[in-house]
Amino acid sequence: MEAGTLICNVLPLTPKRRRFPSCQSSFPCSVKASLSSQGDYRGPKPKREWVADWVSKNDDVVRSLPIYVGGTSLLAVLFNRTVSGIAPVADASSSQSRADLLTLGLAVTCILNGLVWISIRPKSISVVNPEGVECQRIYSDLPDSVISELLWAWESLSHATCCRSLVVIYDGICLLQIGFAAASSSDGGGAMVVNAKKLVEGSLYNGGIRSGSQSYLANLSLYPGKSELPFLPSNTQAVILQPLGDKGIAIVGGDIVRGFTTSDQAWITLIGEKLDATLTKVVNRIPLAVEERS
Amino acid sequence: MSRSSSSSAILSQIPLFRLEFAPHKYNLPSKSYFNITRKSVLTRISCTRPPQNTPSQQQLNLSVLRFTLGIPGLDESYLSRYIGYTFGTLLLLNHFVGSDSTSITPAQLISEVLGLSLTAFCVVIPYLGKFLKGATPIDQKSIPKGAEQIFVMTQNISDTLKEDLAWGTYILLRNTNSISVLILVQDALCVRGYWNTPRDVSKENVLDWFRKQIQRFGFSNLKDTIYFPLVADSELLGMLPDGTRSLLVQPIFQTPKLSSSQTEKGKGFVLLASTVDYAYSDKDKAWIVVIANKFRGKDICSNV
Repeated sequence: MEAGTLICNVLPLTPKRRRFPSCQSSFPCSVKASLSSQGDYRGPKPKREWVADWVSKNDDVVRSLPIYVGGTSLLAVLFNRTVSGIAPVADASSSQSRADLLTLGLAVTCILNGLVWISIRPKSISVVNPEGVECQRIYSDLPDSVISELLWAWESLSHATCCRSLVVIYDGICLLQIGFAAASSSDGGGAMVVNAKKLVEGSLYNGGIRSGSQSYLANLSLYPGKSELPFLPSNTQAVILQPLGDKGIAIVGGDIVRGFTTSDQAWITLIGEKLDATLTKVVNRIPLAVEERS
Repeated sequence: MSRSSSSSAILSQIPLFRLEFAPHKYNLPSKSYFNITRKSVLTRISCTRPPQNTPSQQQLNLSVLRFTLGIPGLDESYLSRYIGYTFGTLLLLNHFVGSDSTSITPAQLISEVLGLSLTAFCVVIPYLGKFLKGATPIDQKSIPKGAEQIFVMTQNISDTLKEDLAWGTYILLRNTNSISVLILVQDALCVRGYWNTPRDVSKENVLDWFRKQIQRFGFSNLKDTIYFPLVADSELLGMLPDGTRSLLVQPIFQTPKLSSSQTEKGKGFVLLASTVDYAYSDKDKAWIVVIANKFRGKDICSNV
């Protein structure tokens, strides 16, 4: 069974992500696992990807590698030409010149490619830890299946994206407030309660419901609409407002500026649709004036 | 009841494959300044400036000149490979045809050797570039020829589970590079996408055929995620359609796995196949774990 090493991505689902400094992202990277733990699995085993691992670990070196290779070759060609006593004339008359020109062309291609790689290096933006208190408030009068679905949504977002706060408002009631929240000045430092009525009357909510599509506030500090979200930690970096049908909204707060990728946005949209489908089925049964429990 | 079946019907009619990513409309200005999207850039030279009404954003963003030839269908990431092949061929032509073999000087030989090694390097560059941070997948998933699209599900399970399976398979096919997906939760099986079922298996027996294949490989006994970025094994390809290049199998566990020493048997798995190699990035894998966890607490017989 020990025919080779097995690459397994061990992805434990914990609320706090573990960060590995050598990985290209904040998710746990591939680790070697011994095959004996696989039990009765009889299928083929994947091979170790040396090149992929090496490139991911030495990202900076690999980005500048084509420039060095191209530059060295360029100098080598010119040196070769001067040393062998040929006049440095760029014409295609002799086969030597033609070979040199072709090699120069290739060297220039390498250099340009290296420059492109360096210019599109993703900027690493640091995480800003949210200032606030952790809380978990779920509306009490919900069936268990809906509660587990809401908690699953929170687990997924906090595991797969940079989400640190989640608030779900549906039909004018705050169904879920979980993760980090701003500390309330009254209430002895507990998490601030979401004023669902005020939010529902505000422009962010109404704009979202009217358009029916997701809003991504990539850098929250620049937007005046921030005042409508006082329950999020004051240094929340990015926010996604996902309308749930035409009756609700999910507010996802993240800790990195522009931290939600386009792929995250697509996933969040689809999860929002699922939540809307689930909540529509049950919300008709919720009486209007009930209090939350924290 | 009727709503869940109608939503499953709607989900099955929605086209599963988007070969181009259509971005959602975003209300508030959060323009991306880099044209590094999933599909290749089609404009000539794209250079964006930050809008005038948010001057403080100028410090954070840089305009990026992205070189592109503007030929649709030609991917610029592979440009160095095409140039490498062309110039390498010309070098060889020059050596054999363009000069007498008797009069080749050592200097020319040195040049040619240098040129050929640069050719090899240029050809390898796109392959290395695939693994860099921020590299976007170059290939779009292609639909395999000769494979049929199917959507089957175990029938005697609760409606919520049916809806969840339909939604889960739909979302996986739509948001990842997959062309085929199979989810097994305890005994409930859902198969969707392009599969290579043999012609003599009738529609009623297709689920049994899949169960036999799963039994053969023992996918249910996996303890960890298993990922084949480049599938070469012909055994597996009996079940998967031709043209499958990547495969990922994610077990579903009852409780969140906190340490690798836990040897709890999974209650099912999610299997994804794709026609591009290195199809699943770390982020894709994280989201696939998330979808697998959706089925964690499900019982196949309960009706909620």
